Amino acid sequence: MILVGELALWVALLMAAWSAVASFSGGALGRDDLVTSGRRGLYATWAMVTLASIGLWTALLTHDFSLKYVASNTAANMPKVYVFAAFWGGQAGSMLFWSLILASYSAIAIWSVREKSRDLAPWAAGTLAAILLFFIATTCFKANPYDRLSFIPVDGRGMNPQLQNPGMAIHPPNLYLGYVATAIPFAFAIAALVTRKLDAEWLSIVRRWSLVSWFFLTIGITLGMWWAYVELGWSGYWAWDPVENASLLPWLTGTAFLHSIMIQEKRGMLRKWNVVLVVTTFLLAIFGTFLTRSGIIESVHSFAQSPVGVWFGAFFFTILAATIYFVATRLRDLEAKAELESMVSREAAFLYNNLVLVGIAFSVLWGTLFPVLSEWVRGSKITVGPPFFNTVNVPLGLLLLALTGIGPLIAWRKASTANLKRQFVVPVIVGLGTGALLLAMGMRNFHALVAYTLAGFVSGTIGQEFYKGIGARRVIHGEGVLPAAFRLVARNRRRYGGYIVHAGIVILFSAFAGLAFKKDYDLQLKAGETKELVDPLGHHWKFISQGVSTSETLNRFVTAVGLEVTRDGVPQGIVTSEKRQHFDSNKQPQFEPSTEVGIRTSAALDLYVVLAGVRNETAELRISFNPLVVWVWIGGLVMAIGGLIVMWPQTERRRAPSGYVATLAPATREPAVVR
Amino acid sequence: MKRRDFLGGALLGGVALVATTPLLGQDSTQATPGAGPATGNTSNLFDMNQTAAKTVRRPPKRDAVASMSPEQRDALEHDIRCQCGCTLDVYTCRTTDFSCQVSPAMHRDVMSLVEGGYPAREILDAFVDTYGERALMAPRKQGFNLAGYLAPFAVLALGAAGLVFVLRGMQRRSVAVKAATDAPVAPLATDDEMARLDAAIKRDV
Repeated sequence: MILVGELALWVALLMAAWSAVASFSGGALGRDDLVTSGRRGLYATWAMVTLASIGLWTALLTHDFSLKYVASNTAANMPKVYVFAAFWGGQAGSMLFWSLILASYSAIAIWSVREKSRDLAPWAAGTLAAILLFFIATTCFKANPYDRLSFIPVDGRGMNPQLQNPGMAIHPPNLYLGYVATAIPFAFAIAALVTRKLDAEWLSIVRRWSLVSWFFLTIGITLGMWWAYVELGWSGYWAWDPVENASLLPWLTGTAFLHSIMIQEKRGMLRKWNVVLVVTTFLLAIFGTFLTRSGIIESVHSFAQSPVGVWFGAFFFTILAATIYFVATRLRDLEAKAELESMVSREAAFLYNNLVLVGIAFSVLWGTLFPVLSEWVRGSKITVGPPFFNTVNVPLGLLLLALTGIGPLIAWRKASTANLKRQFVVPVIVGLGTGALLLAMGMRNFHALVAYTLAGFVSGTIGQEFYKGIGARRVIHGEGVLPAAFRLVARNRRRYGGYIVHAGIVILFSAFAGLAFKKDYDLQLKAGETKELVDPLGHHWKFISQGVSTSETLNRFVTAVGLEVTRDGVPQGIVTSEKRQHFDSNKQPQFEPSTEVGIRTSAALDLYVVLAGVRNETAELRISFNPLVVWVWIGGLVMAIGGLIVMWPQTERRRAPSGYVATLAPATREPAVVR
Repeated sequence: MKRRDFLGGALLGGVALVATTPLLGQDSTQATPGAGPATGNTSNLFDMNQTAAKTVRRPPKRDAVASMSPEQRDALEHDIRCQCGCTLDVYTCRTTDFSCQVSPAMHRDVMSLVEGGYPAREILDAFVDTYGERALMAPRKQGFNLAGYLAPFAVLALGAAGLVFVLRGMQRRSVAVKAATDAPVAPLATDDEMARLDAAIKRDV
């Protein structure tokens, strides 16, 4: 199977090349036979990449250490689940994993439009095959997981212990699913530009796949934060590391696109801008990969000194040039069908939202690249860490939060003063009331106060929208509150799913603001010693050390400390933190020791215990009280649920409004009609 | 844009790309400090450089007393970067990973300077003198670094100005078109059609 997999990888390379050539030729010459052959070539590529992946999984699970990749990333005594996850744990495997996802997505996307979009499909298939060709070629020539060693080691090097965590097993696949999905909208954008068919057809396909990308990126980023929090032991979930930033960039521009596409759908505006956002999102996904695999940027995650970086750089500039060419030569086809009527309108609010989202994306990209720029200009290395990103991005984030509440309150086309007063009064009262209450309760942190005031405002907006919608259903259909709420969301998935995403954003920002009140303590405790601490909410915690214990389990030596914990005199159980030293099959230590954090979660705060080390039977500990952290995971989950509701397919019967289409009059064309 | 114009621009871009390629190559060889003989095929996460610590000491000031409380010192250590390659600050690294020998050494230097009566600014200066500016978790807000802090806001301001300019133009064109099409038109819909529309809207709410 391993040999079959290796051969399949090379056949996949040929298939992808053929698919690209046949699809582009078929599209250009209008020959259906070539188009069909190109499409089938794409399916064949998928089959071959799948075989190659099965081959690698077989090699990993059977511990075939003759393969350099297997020997470098696994060991015989590793739990099976992490051996399976090692597929995407190293450079070469992750390249093949990209190819597998891209081939699968491409096959699904092209199969689903083969009849409906006969003009776009060949060009989209060709573009996807070309991208696939790049990934498979990079895998074959620069990062081949089937490369063999000149000898067969008895055991492998194993996987970094910090990667041996459930979060690590599931968060990279989600991120990859998100990154790679950006290729589908890009391919259809290129197809639409080439054929000059920039109508509703490509928009509908692009929107669907952009949502898929956004959904998986949201889950992947949230799981990544969770993994960092529970595994790395530094008591935080976001360090503005370049790899984290690379995942955030396409999420930001993808979010901007999902807002601005609504304006194109409803008003025929922003056609150029939407193409730019689709392309930028894909380019950022590739650029992020280039950054982290070229070694150009320093990151704890980076695949150091990797040879694929230059390939990614060349690929990035090639697609950038191709895209600029197509956009520049089709500007007339991208003219807006309507004009904006007022600066105070839903359309304008979406544009302000786009500006801030793209502004944040720029600031994140700028901060990530600034060390390189600084070294280039001044010749000295600098660090751009969390203090920089927080200084720049906190104000922008708060502005974005405000716009999240403002946008839904403003009418399409033109908002009247009366309309604005009616819409804003409740959310503003809720927001200011929240701020005043917290101020009265003694909160003095400026940024946190602003964040919670704005969170109150946005909550007021969302609550008001649901209240009005549910009220309307109750009056018209005589339904109870819960059935009305359910049907309101079910019949208007895009709108109310979007509000649920906004609710997730509110929860996230509230949780982020909570970290302003974080408290850390260093302790040294011998067995039986006690220490009392006060958390940010004023609760008194008592920690009694149960002493240090050592044990051996699976593939590691464990040093653990148990703390008996009480809060305000109420027992909270035993919290344990561990230091783990992993070893190989010969019991030889591997890697640096890793930390297992002891966490006690509640709605208000997390108790976070880290065993830094043991000296003379004394446990050296850091104890942190991290307010509202659990709401980060809940916020991410709520956003993902909202995204799922938005992208859940609506049946044709519900989507088609029974023969009636209320057409908003484009200001440049004709008066309003009802036909 | 004409094809010829584009190709001309692309040629210039290509020249620029070729010119910057050596820079990429050069940087890629000096990737993660402390990264040992890592190959492209190894798992990610860094390898620790245990020998990165250098001595940062100054003679104590005359009649020196500790210049700050332990809490203030911990806060100061959040601004100094551990040099082991972890990208964490000194406080976080030394309280997270006992196997790191760099952050405890840097912590001892901070304690020595605090006890020697040095204020926060002078302690940071001492670390910058020894390790360079990369000893700090964020660049100082001075000189070229200001470009780092201000560029995002400048770009946002430029974007906002551009957006307002474009929106105003669109608004003007919209008003002009509306005036031209404001001639009387036939009723938009019959009463029967409006009643059916109302029914459809009710069904969809």
